[in-house]
Amino acid sequence: MALPVVSGRIGSIGLEQFWAGLVRAVVDSVSVVEDRRPDAPDAAEFEDVRQSRQGDSDAYRRLIERHQEQVGGILWRFSRDRLVHEELVQDVFVEAYMSLRSYRGKAPFHHWLSRIATRVGYRYWKQTARRRETENFTIEEWDQVPDGSAEQMDPSEAASLVHRLLAQLRPRDRLVLTLRYLEGCDVAETARRTGWTRGMVKVQAVRAKKKLEKLVAKAGKGLE
Amino acid sequence: MMKNESRFETLARLARSEAPPRVDVAGRVIAILSAEQVRLDRASDKPLMWLAAFSSAVAVPAAVLAVIVYNNWVGPLFEISQAIAWVTQ
Repeated sequence: MALPVVSGRIGSIGLEQFWAGLVRAVVDSVSVVEDRRPDAPDAAEFEDVRQSRQGDSDAYRRLIERHQEQVGGILWRFSRDRLVHEELVQDVFVEAYMSLRSYRGKAPFHHWLSRIATRVGYRYWKQTARRRETENFTIEEWDQVPDGSAEQMDPSEAASLVHRLLAQLRPRDRLVLTLRYLEGCDVAETARRTGWTRGMVKVQAVRAKKKLEKLVAKAGKGLE
Repeated sequence: MMKNESRFETLARLARSEAPPRVDVAGRVIAILSAEQVRLDRASDKPLMWLAAFSSAVAVPAAVLAVIVYNNWVGPLFEISQAIAWVTQ
């Protein structure tokens, strides 16, 4: 932090100039501290964001190409239908562009995108719940998973089963369990992505787990 | 209860290692945004077009009214000036 305060010089420069210099230096030092944060976006990425805001489509294309895989990974938890999945990824980047001015560059761009991706995915679930489109799930599938050798299951099969099981819950319950268990987010990260408080995330997670348990029990012989 | 919970957690952990399908949406997103920009540009011209149309619609009757008022006003004045000219001759 370099302030332009040199003893003895204050009197020689105008008071106005002095204050202007002081304010500039404080602002610069704050921005330097922010830029040095370990999770701050890298300069090239921030430059692409800046150029995208000015309408440079090539810069935005670079941002999409850099982050589409990560966004695709998040949204794969929300829909396993490839067409829907692609549309959701597309919606995220369109929505992100529309609200690009709200990105302040204090956190990495992918954090900001992950919030939008969660919002888009959650909205999709709410729409499908309103249309009462639930995915098929039978308790037999759940019971067929051998306790001892569940670890040897194909990840894709396991993901599909968990996805269909969670689809039986309300979107709110489904969201918290998806983020906590499928995305592996901790309470703080879940709160950041959903916009809920940490306390709310904890309460919602407990409730959702109970509902899931009830669902399995109700569907069959789920309980021991 | 524990059995179901641990089974769920095991499956979720496995699911986390699944590789999602690759997507490439850059081209489509840019196309959507360009189309949206064109639409917004057109929409931004519309208020000006409506203003111009409204101004024309108001200006024509105003001009007609102005001519009528001018004639009504100038007619009697002209007669008076004629009369004064006749008296002074």
